[in-house]
Amino acid sequence: MEKIVTRHFGQPNSHRLENYLKDNGYEAARKALTQMTPAAVIDEVKKSNLRGLGGAGFPTGTKWSFIPQANPKPKYLVINGDEGEPGTFKDKYILEQDPHALLEGIIITCYAIGSHKAYVYIRGEYLKSLQILQAAVDEAYKANYLGRGIMGTGFDIDVVVHPGAGAYICGEETALLESLEGKKGFPRLKPPFPAVVGLFGCPTVINNVETISCIAPIINKGADWYAKLGCEKNGGNRLFCISGHVVKPGIYELPNGITLREIIYDHAGGIPNGRKLKAVIPGGISAPILTPDQIDVKMDFDSLKAIGSMAGSGGIIVMDDTTDMVWAAMVAARFFAHESCGQCSPCREGSGWVYRNVKRIYQGQAKPHDLNNLPGIVNNIGGNTICAFGDAVSMSVGSYVTKFRSEFEAKIKGEYAESKH
Amino acid sequence: MFSAEFKQELDKITNKYEQKRAALLPLLHHVQEKEGLITPQTEADLAEYLGVPVVHIHEVVSFYHLFHQKKMGKYHFSICQTTACALCGAEGVIEHIEQRLKIRPGETTPDGKFSLSVVECLGACEIAPVMQGNKDYVGCLNKKKVDEIIDKNS
Amino acid sequence: MPNLSIDGKQIEVPAGTTIIQAADKLGISIPRYCYHPALPVSGNCRICMVEVEKQPKLQIACYTPVADGMVVKTNSPKVLEVRKTVLEFLLVNHPVDCPVCDQAGECKLQDYYMEHGQYDSRLSDVKVKKEKKAFSIGPTVMLDQERCILCTRCVRFADNITKTSEFGVFSRGDHSQLDIYPGKQLDNAYSGNVVDICPVGALTDKDFRFKCRVWYLSQTKSVCPGCSMGCNITVEWDKMRPHVHKNARVMRLKPRLNQDVNQYWICDKGRYNYRFIDENRIQHPQFKDNLITWDEAVGVIARAIKPLQDSNQTNRIGVIASAQLTNEDLFAVRKFFKETLKGAQVDFRMPENPGDSDNFLIKADKNPNTAGALNILQADAQVEQIVQKAVKGEIDVLYVFGHDLVKIFSKETVAQIAKKVKLFVYQGSNINETCGYAHLNLPSSVYAEKEGTFTNCQQKVQRIWPAFLPLAEAKSDWQIISLLSAELGAPLAYHHAQEIFKDIAANLAPFSEMTYEKIADKGMVLKA
Repeated sequence: MEKIVTRHFGQPNSHRLENYLKDNGYEAARKALTQMTPAAVIDEVKKSNLRGLGGAGFPTGTKWSFIPQANPKPKYLVINGDEGEPGTFKDKYILEQDPHALLEGIIITCYAIGSHKAYVYIRGEYLKSLQILQAAVDEAYKANYLGRGIMGTGFDIDVVVHPGAGAYICGEETALLESLEGKKGFPRLKPPFPAVVGLFGCPTVINNVETISCIAPIINKGADWYAKLGCEKNGGNRLFCISGHVVKPGIYELPNGITLREIIYDHAGGIPNGRKLKAVIPGGISAPILTPDQIDVKMDFDSLKAIGSMAGSGGIIVMDDTTDMVWAAMVAARFFAHESCGQCSPCREGSGWVYRNVKRIYQGQAKPHDLNNLPGIVNNIGGNTICAFGDAVSMSVGSYVTKFRSEFEAKIKGEYAESKH
Repeated sequence: MFSAEFKQELDKITNKYEQKRAALLPLLHHVQEKEGLITPQTEADLAEYLGVPVVHIHEVVSFYHLFHQKKMGKYHFSICQTTACALCGAEGVIEHIEQRLKIRPGETTPDGKFSLSVVECLGACEIAPVMQGNKDYVGCLNKKKVDEIIDKNS
Repeated sequence: MPNLSIDGKQIEVPAGTTIIQAADKLGISIPRYCYHPALPVSGNCRICMVEVEKQPKLQIACYTPVADGMVVKTNSPKVLEVRKTVLEFLLVNHPVDCPVCDQAGECKLQDYYMEHGQYDSRLSDVKVKKEKKAFSIGPTVMLDQERCILCTRCVRFADNITKTSEFGVFSRGDHSQLDIYPGKQLDNAYSGNVVDICPVGALTDKDFRFKCRVWYLSQTKSVCPGCSMGCNITVEWDKMRPHVHKNARVMRLKPRLNQDVNQYWICDKGRYNYRFIDENRIQHPQFKDNLITWDEAVGVIARAIKPLQDSNQTNRIGVIASAQLTNEDLFAVRKFFKETLKGAQVDFRMPENPGDSDNFLIKADKNPNTAGALNILQADAQVEQIVQKAVKGEIDVLYVFGHDLVKIFSKETVAQIAKKVKLFVYQGSNINETCGYAHLNLPSSVYAEKEGTFTNCQQKVQRIWPAFLPLAEAKSDWQIISLLSAELGAPLAYHHAQEIFKDIAANLAPFSEMTYEKIADKGMVLKA
């Protein structure tokens, strides 16, 4: 399999400009700026079937085409490096080991959408990533890959590296914009969408670190090549993250369309200590949990959606048969309760309530009606909130209750019966 | 009010942004780096410098977990408790620190040497259970590693 | 203009109108917490969700603009279910303080629960505790963080209306707390308004705290007499339990919506200035140290005036009228003192230092009816000259309406006047220092006891309605003048304030074609 995003990983000083230049570094940017029109770049990215790798899987080229070119306001590119989805750690590797790949992608993207200013928002805990990226930006400015009239073309571009400060919700694109503007990370009411009213009220594209790191290879080698690497409607490879009860946790660049079984057993070494698989999260904590009979699913956006889960951020968390699923549900519920921004009432009150509820069930202090009421309460959050966080609470925590109901029942004090109250 | 020199230092950051207020998070990091915490005085000074009502500065400080309104201990344990780390033994690590240092999450030891926080996913699940110790990520935690860190920083 | 249907009713509204606004126009009131017509939309409470045909998800009515051909349902089973859902979430951590909460009876949690909730509780958990309960955040407002449903109306009010930014929501998730900036106070000139807009009992009025259950209150429309803005108000009063209220009738004032005058707001001075309605009132006519009857009082005045009338010396009558009087009162003053007693020196313009003002509702002119007085009295004399003449002994009858001359001209001057003038009449509602010097004190009604009109700084004539009968023996100023004029053989023959207004409209061009019905409760501007 051809490595794309990880092609420079492991090389000595892979993060340095001189290493990047050894391998056609910045040639795709030069090609785009000098041989292609912005519209042609967008078309190419559309044809590649590249889809957002932050979690939503939205076709990247299509997103870029929403920018209203006739709008006289300046356009912005914002790179989402908030990487907060539990189970996900891939962008950290790109930032630390191949930041120039991201920068080259930024140049091409800005050219395509008519932007001259990009902000890279990186979660505040990633101090190493922030440092390394800033050093790469400095190198790029010095060598005129960023700044005024880059690489002898007339194109101006500035990049600012911007730290977050510890809030998962800032991974939601409009909450990220709010945070970038110096406010609390409260997601915005939509419409308008960022493509029309985004950063500072201007048309904005927000894309994940990994997504933009794929752009230069697509321009270099062509959309068809990229599209063929993946599966239908989901081109290219993806940096899967796998953790939890596996022998070899880590990142694995694999084609879209590979099965979950292959990732767990053929690449990550399977379950350690001779234990068996009990459950697996396929795409970050927001993704509904899967049972062992479901692991032959292909790990692309459409296939996972079809079985009632999601490809999300590609963060796979494996649970072996020692795992108490009520406890696992509690851990998930606790995460959501801690990270709810608190703006809208169903999520603010609901996420805390669900956590306390599941915790009581786990601690053996709940009655039958608590468990009977739980699915209804959980489902009431999703669909009624300002952003998808509410949907994630419902889908994620709800999936534990649905698929492992008997474990919940076993924890209930007293006679368990199908009573309404 | 910020001194003229400090304003110049901050201007270097603020000038990167089209709107001054957007510099708030990096400015707060900058000040916290120097002083170890965000004080009401800093909030008032930033409010003046950015032209933002001070109440909204305080909202930001209280919203984001990386900003502290109290000084942390010299060594600050931020242990992740989310799914992957939880599966790999984070609870045991947290318990062990609580036992050795005699503090609960959110507290600092009386001698000011250690603070303990429990946080959500740090984005390093491949080396779970992981923590951020001051600035650095330390992974594959176990009782032994924790003891070494505590002994080294005592 | 988009044409849409809401619950089967058609309406055409300007583009950009939101569903909730269109529904309000149709008289369909969609439940709302965070939405307020005067504040930017927040969309966080989620209770205004409605069903829009062809949209798979429910939409919040406060933010969704109408579209031509849109079909909206505000009471479908889905909508009714989601209202229960939102209420349930809001009540998870809300302390059921109703028995001790001032908001009870006008609380949107109570109201919507009774209308749309009525579900069985599924709560088995302890409620989240917040830091501040029954906490004073300033001279006028109490905060209870646990009752707060984080609708952020107060935050948006302080950011956008007063632009003083006292409020913020700190922390996040269900530990979010509404608070003012630590160490600061909520002490701007409009602080009381946040109590009005808070849909629950999180922000409550200290002045009204534990005073009276709102279901005992009656409401009467009126206009604040505190300055020339003439903010529209509602006087809220309880006459049934004088034993509880120590004979006070008015419990509080609330601003009344008038888009052209004060929108939804009133300043604190105006809001809390109601105690004079019940306290420190002049209750009976009094001549020197003796309480007398109205007949006797009128006789005293008539006996002082008649000789001056007969000997063509009406210029020895000085009248210091007031821009605190209604248009009707002022017209009676004009008819009697200026026409019947032609030659009498009449003015109302006091040499006062202008009061504080701002670029919002507070006006420097602290009188509610200066524009009315200017138009109706067309004064030619001057108050200062009248006072000087009185001091010199050139005035035999000095008739003062409501002014505390001691405050404006000094004790010495007023003492001198009392000596020199043959009859010094003070006609007012409340006791002040001047009363002690006046020979004859006459009790007049306060604005809340009167029917009439004021003319504000926008030249807008606005109606006031009487909440209750005048206290003790007080009468409207025009009624007193009617008694006097009848005694002197030139009756005004008015029985109701409306009759006077008819005369005003008939005789004074700026008021032409105005009637009480046309003025209604929004007011009418004088003709140029």
